[in-house]
Amino acid sequence: MSADHDHDHTPITASEEVSEFEILEVALRELAIERGLFSAEDHRRFKEWAESREPAGGSRLVAKAWVDPDFKARLLSDATAACPEVGIDWNQPTGEGTPSDYTFFHVLENTPEVHNVIVCTLCSCYPRPVLGMSPEWYRTPNYRRRIVRWPREVLAEFGLSISPETEIRVHDSNQKSRFMVMPMRPEGTEGWTEEQLAAIVTRDTMIGVALPDPNWTAAAAPSGAG
Amino acid sequence: MSSRYNVGDRVTIREQFSIFYTRTQAYTRGRMGTVVQQFETGLIPEDEAYGNEDGRVEPFYKVRFRQADLWPEYSFPADTLETEFSESWLLPAREEP
Repeated sequence: MSADHDHDHTPITASEEVSEFEILEVALRELAIERGLFSAEDHRRFKEWAESREPAGGSRLVAKAWVDPDFKARLLSDATAACPEVGIDWNQPTGEGTPSDYTFFHVLENTPEVHNVIVCTLCSCYPRPVLGMSPEWYRTPNYRRRIVRWPREVLAEFGLSISPETEIRVHDSNQKSRFMVMPMRPEGTEGWTEEQLAAIVTRDTMIGVALPDPNWTAAAAPSGAG
Repeated sequence: MSSRYNVGDRVTIREQFSIFYTRTQAYTRGRMGTVVQQFETGLIPEDEAYGNEDGRVEPFYKVRFRQADLWPEYSFPADTLETEFSESWLLPAREEP
């Protein structure tokens, strides 16, 4: 023990086992770096960029569709082609996508008859170019295995109760398509600008585990926080 | 490759034995659903998973299931689930009981 560090404390140890997949990822990355395919700094920059993507792109898509019926029709018929109208390029990973997002993109319209919710039971497929990185709970086995089988109970755990007359349609994005939910525009937003509307289209409303609330934005702090 | 199924067709998901990568969920196998969307042909995951870029190419379909057909205890008749399959996982639907 050194002279300027004379107190006792518990050594910091790794708290979780490293998974096989984590070891594989590190091994592959180190080989790629040794081979000169990319540098460690390239990798860090890509991660920094990918993890800084936000759901704001999806919010802009929904808000524009709410105020512009022609855009809404284009978005629902070919979402990939409509994305550039709000400054998102679904297909170019150095734009706002990542290589694994070379897939079809579809927007699911909520109606009074149908409420949509997305999941990937196989892994964590998510429309990252428009919503950024998925929330931690979206990737958990708990959400993935339960939302397909007990959607009403799981939505209730998120505080969302859907009328038994409304069809809940779960979308398990297991293959070539990624999905995003377009929630219904709530009452009390008449005359709002696109910017005002986009603010209430939060991440969870586009996954389908919440509904937009005119009195709630993603930037609002829950009471009791802070 | 032309598509064997059209939107509206009733299909049954194959219960084929698989020990390698498929992306076809166990909970859909042997279940009956309706084709709701056709997608372009693409490399099937069984080959794509191993980097076999010259592998088998098939049309893909989105199939809608009644939740009550997936889970025996499901009690909300209106609820549904949609997911995708490559063509070789689909069979024309068996006769309705």
